[in-house]
Amino acid sequence: MPYDPSKPLQDRITDIGPKNYEEFLPPVIKKNFGKWDYHEILEPGVLVHVAEGGDKVFTVRVGGARLMSISHIREIMEIADKHCGGFLRFTTRNNIEFMVDDQSKVEPLKKDLLSRKQPGGGFKFPIGGTGAGITNIVHTQGWLHCHTPATDASGVVKAVMDDLFDEFTSMRMPAHVRISLACCLNMCGAVHCSDIAILGYHRKPPMIDAEVIDKVCEIPLAIAACPTAAIKPAKIKKPDGTEAQAVAVNNDRCMFCGNCYTMCPAMPLADAEGDGIVIMVGGKVSNRISAPKFSKVVVAFLPNNVPRWPETTDCIRKIVEVYAGDARKYERLGEWAERIGWEKFFEKTGLEFTHHLIDDFRDPAYYTWRQTSQFKFTG
Amino acid sequence: MPTVEFKGKTFNVDEDGFIDDFNGWSREWVDYVKESEGISELTEEHWKVIDILQDYYKKNGIAPMVRILSKVTGFKLKYIYELFPSGPGKGACKMAGLPKPTGCV
Ligand code: HEM
Ligand code: HEM
Ligand code: SF4
Ligand code: SF4
Repeated sequence: MPYDPSKPLQDRITDIGPKNYEEFLPPVIKKNFGKWDYHEILEPGVLVHVAEGGDKVFTVRVGGARLMSISHIREIMEIADKHCGGFLRFTTRNNIEFMVDDQSKVEPLKKDLLSRKQPGGGFKFPIGGTGAGITNIVHTQGWLHCHTPATDASGVVKAVMDDLFDEFTSMRMPAHVRISLACCLNMCGAVHCSDIAILGYHRKPPMIDAEVIDKVCEIPLAIAACPTAAIKPAKIKKPDGTEAQAVAVNNDRCMFCGNCYTMCPAMPLADAEGDGIVIMVGGKVSNRISAPKFSKVVVAFLPNNVPRWPETTDCIRKIVEVYAGDARKYERLGEWAERIGWEKFFEKTGLEFTHHLIDDFRDPAYYTWRQTSQFKFTG
Repeated sequence: MPTVEFKGKTFNVDEDGFIDDFNGWSREWVDYVKESEGISELTEEHWKVIDILQDYYKKNGIAPMVRILSKVTGFKLKYIYELFPSGPGKGACKMAGLPKPTGCV
């Protein structure tokens, strides 16, 4: 039955959940499920998994822009139909993987993938993203769709990946370098746990829309949203002269997180000059050798210089190059920085250390200061 | 802001159909909205939920948490959905004239 707006609950299907993934497994994967013996990375972007019985599956990983049109997805399906029996998968970093069950099918697939270009010249399906290189950037909505961003997502990601493209198609880093982006400090995604993180940042307190605040906001929620208690209830004079229940922001206590705007539409704070980017480094999620780490702020502000964000791409390239030249094999960026000491990290990368980088948030800030005489002189 | 005329009353509504001002609410509003919220007949139980939401908002300046609404009305969440198919936020709060829910909804 077609949807009948006068009887919305009739024939309504609900709570059926996602499809069972087993419906979508390529035959060679289904057959050898749970029986894999070992794997190898044959070259950047190409893996082979060998099963106990000797079956092999070859995987070709290609970059994806994450934000995709249906026509692009149809092209992905066309490739899968042509080479892979109609099967494909997306990875947790939004790359695309095409799988074939015989080595002879790998070269034709690769050739086909690399032959496809966007009208502007960009690769539609660049092969890479494996091993100790730089794979896709986990990112967010930005100016495309969200209402709380301080920077864009897709635009910055394109600029950074263009600049680091050679590292996507090669494996010459000491270890994986995970880059991620979030357009505000809600941090949707992985910025708080990545080797390099790009984070949208405001620098001005919210404005208060006196005309509507008492109507559109649940004021106690706005007050409770503030991590520094900068907001208190207050009476406000409306433009029409009447008094209304509203809030007052103590600008000296505000650090521009934007949480109050998330809860209260009458407290916007986005600003063209004020907003920009913070760079964090040194996070990881795996337990390999060292425990997982949070990323730490190392650059307090870079401008939103649209459309190519040159200050941001330059800064990230510099960090990547110094890390690649100095770290030991298997050493993640955070492990390297902690081994050489953060003062040496700043010396080697040439990044400026400013007062913004010193933690001042509640009791735990104390533990980030140095309670030892062990340090290195830097010059 | 679009306006709605219904049984001699005027309501200003936003793009999601929430009224712009709690003080502009009247019983006609509930009558007007019920259809778009998938409700054909308003029962005493619908009104119980609406009354409690309004009392709570007037006293506290916020909408109650779902658990509080369940506890005070005695209706389990499943039953609240049977009364208001779009749920306590989009359905019941809209009909009660409360501000639109915010946050990552
Ligand atoms: C103490 C606080 C937190 C810890 C210890 C933590 C830790 C982690 C870890 C270890 C992962 C990696 C999981 C994996 O790859 O298997 C992860 C991923 C993630 N975190 Fe957090 N997190 C914290 C707070 C947050 C917050 C506040 C948010 C959102 C605002 C968030 C959003 C996410 C998301 C969306 C992912 C998935 C990233 C991906 O798919 O690659 N996390 N977090
Ligand atoms: C102001 C708050 C937020 C807004 C307005 C927002 C908005 C959105 C929107 C519009 C989408 C796309 C939904 C779609 O594709 O239909 C999305 C996706 C997503 N959001 Fe949020 N979000 C917010 C907070 C968060 C937080 C705090 C987290 C993580 C803890 C989060 C995690 C995600 C993830 C992982 C996705 C991708 C889901 C997927 O594509 O599978 N969001 N968000
Ligand atoms: S990080 Fe912030 S601005 Fe970006 S999508 Fe998430 S909530 Fe929106
Ligand atoms: S922006 Fe953040 S710190 Fe500033 S008033 Fe709002 S909630 Fe508080």
